[in-house]
Order: sequence, then structure tokens, then C-alpha cells
Amino acid sequence: MGYDYEIEYVTRNTYEKGLNEAFWQFLIIPENNDTQELISWNFENDLGMVNSVSINGLGFKTVQVRAKEQTDHINFRASFKLSKKEINPYDFPLPESVEHERALLHSHNYRVDHEPFLRKTKLTQLSAKYENLFLFNNKKSIFENLVALNKWVFEKLIFQSGVTDVGTQLSEIIENRHGVCQDFSHLFCAIAKQNGVPSRYVSGYLHQGNGFFGDSQMHAWAESHIPNVGWIGFDPTNNILANHNHIKVSHGKDYNDCAPLKGVVYTLGKNKTQYSVQVKASQQQ
Amino acid sequence: MGKVSNKSIFSNYQKNEGLFDEVFDENGNVKSVYQKILDIYGARSIKDYVKLNNKAKSSFFNQGITFQVYGDKESQEKIFPFDLFPRIIDPDEWDLIEKGAIQRNLALNEFLWDVYHDKKIIKDNVVPLELLSSSPNYLHQMMGLDPPSRIYNHISGTDIIKHSDGNYYVLEDNIRCPSGVSYVICNRTALKRALFGVFNHYKTHTVTDYAENLLSLLESVKPHGVDVPVCVVITPGMFNSAYYEHSYLAKAMGIELVEGRDLFVENDFVYMKTISGPVRVDVVYRRIDDLFIDPMEFNPDSALGVPGLFAAYKKGNVTLANAPGTGVADDKAIYTYVPDIIKYYLDEEPILKNVHTYHCSRPDDLKYVLDNIHNLVIKPVDEAGGYGISIGNRLTKNEIDEVKNTIKAAPRKYVAQPIMSLSVHPTYIDDTKSFEQRHVDLRTFTVLGKDQQFVLKGGLTRVALKKGNLIVNSSQGGGSKDTWVLKQQ
Repeated sequence: MGYDYEIEYVTRNTYEKGLNEAFWQFLIIPENNDTQELISWNFENDLGMVNSVSINGLGFKTVQVRAKEQTDHINFRASFKLSKKEINPYDFPLPESVEHERALLHSHNYRVDHEPFLRKTKLTQLSAKYENLFLFNNKKSIFENLVALNKWVFEKLIFQSGVTDVGTQLSEIIENRHGVCQDFSHLFCAIAKQNGVPSRYVSGYLHQGNGFFGDSQMHAWAESHIPNVGWIGFDPTNNILANHNHIKVSHGKDYNDCAPLKGVVYTLGKNKTQYSVQVKASQQQ
Repeated sequence: MGKVSNKSIFSNYQKNEGLFDEVFDENGNVKSVYQKILDIYGARSIKDYVKLNNKAKSSFFNQGITFQVYGDKESQEKIFPFDLFPRIIDPDEWDLIEKGAIQRNLALNEFLWDVYHDKKIIKDNVVPLELLSSSPNYLHQMMGLDPPSRIYNHISGTDIIKHSDGNYYVLEDNIRCPSGVSYVICNRTALKRALFGVFNHYKTHTVTDYAENLLSLLESVKPHGVDVPVCVVITPGMFNSAYYEHSYLAKAMGIELVEGRDLFVENDFVYMKTISGPVRVDVVYRRIDDLFIDPMEFNPDSALGVPGLFAAYKKGNVTLANAPGTGVADDKAIYTYVPDIIKYYLDEEPILKNVHTYHCSRPDDLKYVLDNIHNLVIKPVDEAGGYGISIGNRLTKNEIDEVKNTIKAAPRKYVAQPIMSLSVHPTYIDDTKSFEQRHVDLRTFTVLGKDQQFVLKGGLTRVALKKGNLIVNSSQGGGSKDTWVLKQQ
């Protein structure tokens, strides 16, 4: 059993003073992995420019558009068809020994292999006074601790858009207790890493048929690595594990590795960006 | 060894017994390689020398060989101070330097391959994981990427000094965008112009073949399937302190000098805009720092780079020299491990020595550093160009306390080394109109290409012009000398 998805990403960027030259890169293409398969894609821009698919430094597909002539805007639309397996995120055995699992987590080679996702970044660094904000319980498995952390973050923060932006630091989020999915995910990653668990920021689409938070925007969640199990997705904004409603695009150390749109625009004036996302699902027969 | 036949221009030369003089031995005798030049210079008066020196200097201004100093409010172009008394290195000594530089840079290249692939050296506990994970120059985008011919540090600048024990030591490795090579060539040109007669008495290796070797290297690492590659030099622009060098090298190699906006990427290929339409670019000698080369991958605010360049590189459609991410191997904290790195990958003893380094991140070292600051040089691990360096025996008591607090606040950021006594070389000083001892070092240039290794037979002898000063960087008011490497008789 599985699900078919149709996803649409639409953006309009306008430039007050116009531009002569620009380069936009969209990181919005769902990846192929064990649980999802991209069936088809289609890209359109109204500048008549080529939409070229490239692979970025971290290995994810992007779409690049280059404007060579004067314009004051770009309208861009991407649509995807995707099939997703029914997932039981709990489908793995718990460790026989919690101590053994912890020893693996702290072993030298494991830490070397997972260095990129143990590294703290500006957006996932807890300041000294918050280092002990959430300490793992040594008597429980890593998975159980992560589930508890997921719930803790969900209860700690209140979902509200407009109070934070993509550069807001963790201490401010912890103190104000409001934020959006990026903030929930950064806080989750920061605490998991603080406790020695490799964790990464995930960007993607959420099918919100079930009333989850996520709006008609791109969604963010987190993945943590458990020794002998692998990467498990946690969605602290909704206090659930990532499941068939989560369509993954990319992962990275934090939002900066996953920004859906990056651009270099040679213009003097202000610019405005709007975008929206729509995810439709149907169950496979 | 012989005596100075005519001491006229050296009549006021004062020898400090504690220092290693490159020209005179401990008994005041002239070392054999310098005998001929002293005979010739000695037959002249200091006035003749000054006249020639000024002539040479004006040729620098006329050629536009200038640099700018960062952080100087009234930033203006300066010429790199220069004097006509060359440094001369005999063939056997040079042989050691050359072999040592190649060995060291090959080992660093292996290290770079390893840290961007299996990280064996870290797993084997030879280099601490902490040094990778705390380095902003360790770029995850480079993980698993195979640069053409496995070369990362195509161009390396290895800074070498001679200590008072007469041995050469490596002071630091520069494998991001080392600069200075244009001065080597211009010093030679100026000296030959002013002193052709003198130059002719020696069998000196040429330095003007550098551009030729650099171009041959760049062509050797062309992307797969390209027949005759188009190579370019990319510069941050005319406000960069090394802009003169960028334009010089492009001209000498006969290739285009471009800025970020002269290039664009389409379908993962890099093109240069020209009057007759886009031209595909295959190899980029980039003189822009890693984090500025592509705003799509690194610093998003960079207006210097080329959007999409890294993806084109990753796909193998263009070669970048040096490879991004080399900075992780020339961090001053990695420097201490270079002897171990050489043994680990090459199973050889290091040919060139390292200066002992104390890591303030280690509690024992930190304690030693805080207790012995007056005998140490304190360096930040991530600043280039001699910025932020404190020399312990030059500090007042208050300054020592200040430095101690700075270190204690961020121990990982600092390393310390014993104060090395750099050798001194007679240098013409304008103020006193005479030759005086000044400290010197030597920046060597190593070029690694596909099946080719080349060390420029010369290098930049940098001179600390302030009396007693040990910092020789041009940005800190240093000068330079032409450096002659003699051919084997």
C-alpha cells in the first residue's frame, strides 16, 4: 500500500528597480529514497529561460534559472508526481542493551563518520546557559530519548509565524517560546547534538490533510542517527515521527544548507518574494 | 671562506653575535657563496650603491608593482621595499629545501584526500577529530569529491626560516591562495636591469619560468574529455591587496584575467563572456577565498564569485585550483601535526623541521604557555598575514596580562611557539644609509600537477625592515630581496 502525491511549488519574485542579470537556484525537488520515488517533474518560468537541473555541493538536485535580459520579476512554477510507501516509523528493534548503544554512540569511529551532523552551527548552537536545557536519560534508549525530546520541543514552543526569521538565534527562540517549523527543528537538532546524537535539518513538503502545522509553505523537520538503526525522522512541530505525509527534499546542518531559493540578483532596488505550496494525495489502489 | 677584500660599503656593518648571519660566519669571514658579490660591491662606494638602488626602486613604481595594506585608514598603494643585495643559497642547501617542500606538500595533499574521504588519519588517532570539527575551512561540500588527478593543493607557499642553529624550519604552510610569486620575478627583473654585470658572475637558476610551469600545471589538471583547455585567473578585483599579482600572472601565462561577473554558469558548464560570445572555461586558477567563490554554496552575500561554479566543479566540468577546502590543512593548529602527517602517508621522516608548537586547547600546553608567555610567540590559528601575533619578550607587563586573558577566553583559537631567532641578512637601510642586519625568511612556491612537481628555484626572501622585528609579512611593513639559487658546479 502506498500514496500518490501531486506537489506544486509556485513563486513570484518582483524587483522594484528591475535587473539586468540574475541567477536563481531552487532546492525544491523531492529526493529519491527508500520510502519515496519521484515519478515526474515539470518546471516553467515566464522569462523563457532554460530550467536546468543540477546537483548541489551536498548532493541534492536543484533547478537553476539564469536571466540574461532585463526584467523586473520572475514567475516560477514546479510540479512533481511522487509515490510514497506506507511507513511504520517504529519498525525497528529497540537495543538489547542501552549501555552498549550509548557506548557505540560515543565511540571514536562513529563520531568521526558523523562529524558533519555533530558539528554545531550558528543556528544549532546552544549558548552556555542552555547547554543542560534537556538532558538525555541514560537508562533509556536513544530512540526513547529522542521521542521525549520531540514532545518536549513541541510543548516548549508555540507555533506562530511572523515572530522569527531564518536567521533567528536559538537563545531568542528559547526565551520567546514562539516560532515556526525551522525553529522547532533547529532546537531539536541542537539539543540532540548536545547529547551526542548526530542530527540534521530536513526540508520538504508536508501533506497537511490531517490538520498538522505546516501551512501552504515548505516544511522542516529533523533526522537523528541511531547506531545500528539509521536515520529516523522527527517532526517536533507536530510531535510526530516523520511518516508518509513527509516528502523529503534535502537535508543539511541547518536551514542555510536547505534554503529553498537562493539567488544572486544585480539590482539596486528592493525585492519581494512570495511563494506557495500545494500537496495533494490519493491512496494507491 | 675569505675576508672582505674592501670593506667600504660594509664599514659600518655591525654584527650581533647572537644572530645567525647569512653572509658572514661567526668569525666575521664571508661565506664562500657571497665572496664574489662582496668583492664587486666592495669596490664601490655606498653612494654608487644608493644610486643604483633608487634606480631599481623607481622601476617598481613604473611597472606598477604595488600592494595595499588592510586596516590602514588611508589605504594607499605602496611599493614592496626592495634592496639590491641578493640572498644567495648554495645548491646543496637548496636541494634540501626543494625535497622538503615537495615531501611536505605531497603529504598535505594526501591528508586532504583522506579527510574528504575515509578520514583514516582521524580514525587512527593521529590527528584529533576536534581539529576537523572546529575548522571553518573543512567544507562538507568536498566530501567524496574526486578532483582531477587527486590534487587539492596545486599551488603551495611554504614559509621557511633559518634558526640560529643553522637549520631550516618550516614556519607555516599556505595552501589556499598563497601570494608573493610575482615579487620574486619582479625582484629578479629589477636586479638584473640594475646589476647585469654582477648577476653574470653567478650561475643562478632562473625564476622567470614560473608562469610557464604554472600554466603547464593548470593544463595538466583539465577536466576529463577536454583537449586543449581554456584556463583563466579569477580575481576578487582591483581592491584586493594582491591584484597586481593576479594580473601579472594572467599576462605572463597569456590567459584571461576575470572577475566573477565575467563568468556565468549554464547547465553546469562555465562560460566567459567575450565580445564574440560565450567561451567555455575549463580550468580556473582562483584567487578568491573558498567562502566567496559561489554564493549558491558558500557565503550567500558574496558578490565576488560565480553562482553555480561549485556544482559545475563537482560535476567535473571545470577544475578549480586550488581545490576548495584546502584551508583545513594549513590551519595553524594542523601545522603541529605535519611531521606526523608526513610519516603517516609517506612513511618517511620529515626532511624539513617543524617549530615546536603548543596548543592552548590542551590543558598542559595552556599552562605552559601562560607561565612562559615572555619566551613565546602567540598566534591566532586562523589569521593570515601576520595579524594578531604577539611576541612575548616584547610585551609590557600589562600587555602580557591582556594576552593571557585573551587566550584564556578562547584557548582553541591560539597556539604558541618558542621565539625562533630568524637568521639575519645585510640589508640596505635608507635612514642610516648603510647596511644593517635584518631578519629574513623565505617563502617557497611548490606547484603540483598531474605527474609533475615543481618548486620555484628562488622564492621570496622577506625582510623585516624594522630593527629587531621578527614579522616579515609585506602587510606588516616587510621588504624583500632577490633570492639566488646557485646551480650545481
